[in-house]
Amino acid sequence: MAGPSLSGLTEQQAKEFHEQFKVTYTAFVGLAALAHLFVIAANPWF
Amino acid sequence: MSKPSNPADDWKIWLVLNPATWLMPLFYALLVLAIAVHFVVFSVGLGWQ
Repeated sequence: MAGPSLSGLTEQQAKEFHEQFKVTYTAFVGLAALAHLFVIAANPWF
Repeated sequence: MSKPSNPADDWKIWLVLNPATWLMPLFYALLVLAIAVHFVVFSVGLGWQ
């Protein structure tokens, strides 16, 4: 059943890309959390 | 097809979506969502006046 994937990526490529995707996404979430902390400090919404 | 177990199988999304095609559309969708959330937050008066 294992032919070429729908995206054309191999398993190794998909795993390799996902590692970088997780790093970038973690940085994004970290920055967003930091921004939210600044907003809470400046102007709490609760 | 057996049910995936996440996050261990998260990487398989890239066997369906080719990031060379879909990474930028994903980022633009995220940008649109962020703008929409900011628009709502400001319109309900929680932005800086």
